[in-house]
Amino acid sequence: MINISADCAAFQEQLPELIGENQDPSAHPHLATCENCSELVRDLLYIAQQAKLLLPLHDPSPAVWEKIEAGIDKEPKAKK
Amino acid sequence: MQGVAPLTETDTKPRPANGQMRRNPPIAGELEAIQKAQAGDGEAFEKLYAMHKRRVYSLCLRMVSNVAEAEDLAQEAFLQLYRKIGTFRGDSAFSTWMHRLTVNVVLMHLRKKGLPQVSLEETLDPSQGEGPRKDIGTRDLNLSGSIDRVGLERAVAELPPGYRLVFVLHDVEGFEHNEIAGMMGCSIGNSKSQLHKARMRLRDLLKSGQVTAKDGAK
Repeated sequence: MINISADCAAFQEQLPELIGENQDPSAHPHLATCENCSELVRDLLYIAQQAKLLLPLHDPSPAVWEKIEAGIDKEPKAKK
Repeated sequence: MQGVAPLTETDTKPRPANGQMRRNPPIAGELEAIQKAQAGDGEAFEKLYAMHKRRVYSLCLRMVSNVAEAEDLAQEAFLQLYRKIGTFRGDSAFSTWMHRLTVNVVLMHLRKKGLPQVSLEETLDPSQGEGPRKDIGTRDLNLSGSIDRVGLERAVAELPPGYRLVFVLHDVEGFEHNEIAGMMGCSIGNSKSQLHKARMRLRDLLKSGQVTAKDGAK
């Protein structure tokens, strides 16, 4: 286990902003000398990239439409 | 914390997010179905349901990670659509408008449940409210190549609701932080902070083996 350095702490404080702006923090000078933070950044970017895998769609059960129809029957007419 | 921002058509203009816009393209017959549904045609409304049910339900499911709750929310989203379809003017993509409507339904639902985790204020628990957590350890595993869809789905389901919402909206659905902040009534900085914490938590979950990831990630 490696204790976090002041440089690591300062870099990781900036990470939400750096990654949040969709910037690539890979060119940050700190990463040239810190394997731990480099790996952290790689992992976080990889997770964000893999999130796109979650797009596959699921079907609701037929009961959903039945409930919607029942709900519509109780509604006043849709606004025009 | 402000309430959920009301849906306006201005808010729903398609914008690129994360370098791409992952929204449904126009669907054949959709415009006609919209116009007929606006005129009160029940069959046309059912067609719209058939066109959009998977996307709406899947979004709900990802946001709440519970099948029964997601189905209730999808139902509510389409009832909201029935009430509001007359306000859709057609100068933004219907799928995007519907998407935004669904997000608002889910957020309203979660707020009504009073779940503190839904708040984007950083008060989930003391350890999570002290700014970005630091990564202090050596790594014995690099995540690259180790995540499959199922493993990530499971990890996302393990996230606290507040983290999950921002992660799903930003990383999965492609909303920008300013859009998320507008919908959730929080600052852009807060949205970024929550997203970062969500990714950090996912990394911990995947590395710790609490969820399944392939290639020996345990």
